[in-house]
Amino acid sequence: MSGAQGLRWLARRETLRVTRLWTQTVLAPVVASMLFILVFGLSLGSRIREIGGLPYEVFIVPGLITMAMVQAAYNNNSSTIFQARNDRYINDVLSAPMHPWQVNLGYNVGGLVRSLAIGLALLALAVPLTGVGVEKPLVLAVAVLLGLVLFGALGTVAGIFANTFDNITFVVNIVILPLAFLGGVFYSVEMLPSPWEELSHFNPVFYLVNAVRHGFFGTSDVSVWLSLGVTAALALPAYAWSQYLFTSGRRLKA
Amino acid sequence: MPLSPPALELRGLTKRYDDGTSAVESFDLTVHDGAFFGLLGPNGAGKTTVISAVCNLIRVTAGEVLVFGRPAASLEARGWVGLAEQDINLDRFLTVEETLVYHGGYFGMGRDEAVVRAGEMIDIFDLRAKTRVRTPKLSGGMRRRLLLARALMHRPRLVILDEPTAGVDFELRGELWRYIERLHDAGTTILLTTHYLEEAEELCEEIALIRGGRLIARDTADGLRESYDADTLADVYVKAMAA
Ligand SMILES: Nc1ncnc2c1ncn2[C@@H]1O[C@H](COP(=O)(O)OP(=O)(O)OP(=O)(O)O)[C@@H](O)[C@H]1O
Ligand SMILES: [Mg+2]
Repeated sequence: MSGAQGLRWLARRETLRVTRLWTQTVLAPVVASMLFILVFGLSLGSRIREIGGLPYEVFIVPGLITMAMVQAAYNNNSSTIFQARNDRYINDVLSAPMHPWQVNLGYNVGGLVRSLAIGLALLALAVPLTGVGVEKPLVLAVAVLLGLVLFGALGTVAGIFANTFDNITFVVNIVILPLAFLGGVFYSVEMLPSPWEELSHFNPVFYLVNAVRHGFFGTSDVSVWLSLGVTAALALPAYAWSQYLFTSGRRLKA
Repeated sequence: MPLSPPALELRGLTKRYDDGTSAVESFDLTVHDGAFFGLLGPNGAGKTTVISAVCNLIRVTAGEVLVFGRPAASLEARGWVGLAEQDINLDRFLTVEETLVYHGGYFGMGRDEAVVRAGEMIDIFDLRAKTRVRTPKLSGGMRRRLLLARALMHRPRLVILDEPTAGVDFELRGELWRYIERLHDAGTTILLTTHYLEEAEELCEEIALIRGGRLIARDTADGLRESYDADTLADVYVKAMAA
């Protein structure tokens, strides 16, 4: 008894939830992000000068894809765990012969699958539409993975702590969306006047967006190593926090 | 003859919930391998708390829980226990068949084995017509049937049934007990809580009475009737709880 089979089935269950609800879990965020690319990029793009030598509609693609993906990871993990806690069917998993690390990892698989489906769909649409290309696929893959670990883990923690579903959306509206908008998804922070440019450097999403942008364009506002380093320095403790909750059973078990 | 470890052994089990409620206090209990054991007591006595401690569902404050000689938290022990909780807790995204197959998977079964076993459980619990229906669309009694089928899905050595017959129709109640008795005859240990004392009297070889998180008495139904000078288990219960 190693729990490996259990991990596989929990991962499969989380994937099933994503595919069974695919219009909500994948289609809706893809449509929303495409609207941003179309409205902001193609209509405003003709009136906004280039950023860093890139046409505006190309410049915004990496940030929008990043935001769609990390939000999906957060939303997926928080809602699946909140529902499982609320209906108490999480007990079927907590009582099963699985190690806490397997339970945590299994719950993360749904968010990963959903985010990757969204990311690939957006890429497939944005490439022909805007002509954006991927210069450094390895950097892109590492940056996306770290972003998904960070926001997936935050979603897990939120799903474990939430008392109501509103608690989960509160975090999105009060923390995640503002940080995303101020993190340079729609502009280069170099365009900001002081002190806003300097303040942006305290925003973790700024580094994530820059790392992903570096993967796409091969250039970004700050060093790619700094971007990846900051994102990793946040992702690892966030994952450790979610793991601590599964291992100790705090909030999951009375 | 080698002595087999008891199916369940609780030593000094104590549980205080975070809000300060002391639900179970220095609780000792041994359930022998192969027993049909009843845990009886009024609402709030601590029955579900004891069960949750066995199934890794609460953080135990103090004490030790052994399942067939292994710590209850070990993966081995968890694989041996099958639990049907008092409150129905079915995964709302899954169909009847998926509920069983995925549970089998969580408990270490491979796909083919789980599908075959799920088919057996669906027949035993008369859910064939609802195989591909999602759990929120089942009637209350069908949900209870599925909950019981799920508990037995992975062929546990220790089956724990917390108020299994609440909301179950007369017919299933009879069938359920016949099936549980067959399991018991085949060597499975059964731990049951119920508020139907006649049921307990008829089925359970041994009974523990619990009140306020403490063990009050533990004996066979005959032994209890004798020591409380009572004609029925219901009389025993009334006397024990009044004492
Ligand atoms: N999650 C919890 N937090 C705080 N107190 C709890 C919690 N769960 C149970 N309790 C309290 O612990 C005590 C024992 O509850 P328990 O559910 O174990 O009783 P029970 O014997 O199963 O009762 P019933 O016959 O009603 O099912 C009660 O006082 C109950 O209010
Ligand atoms: Mg109870």
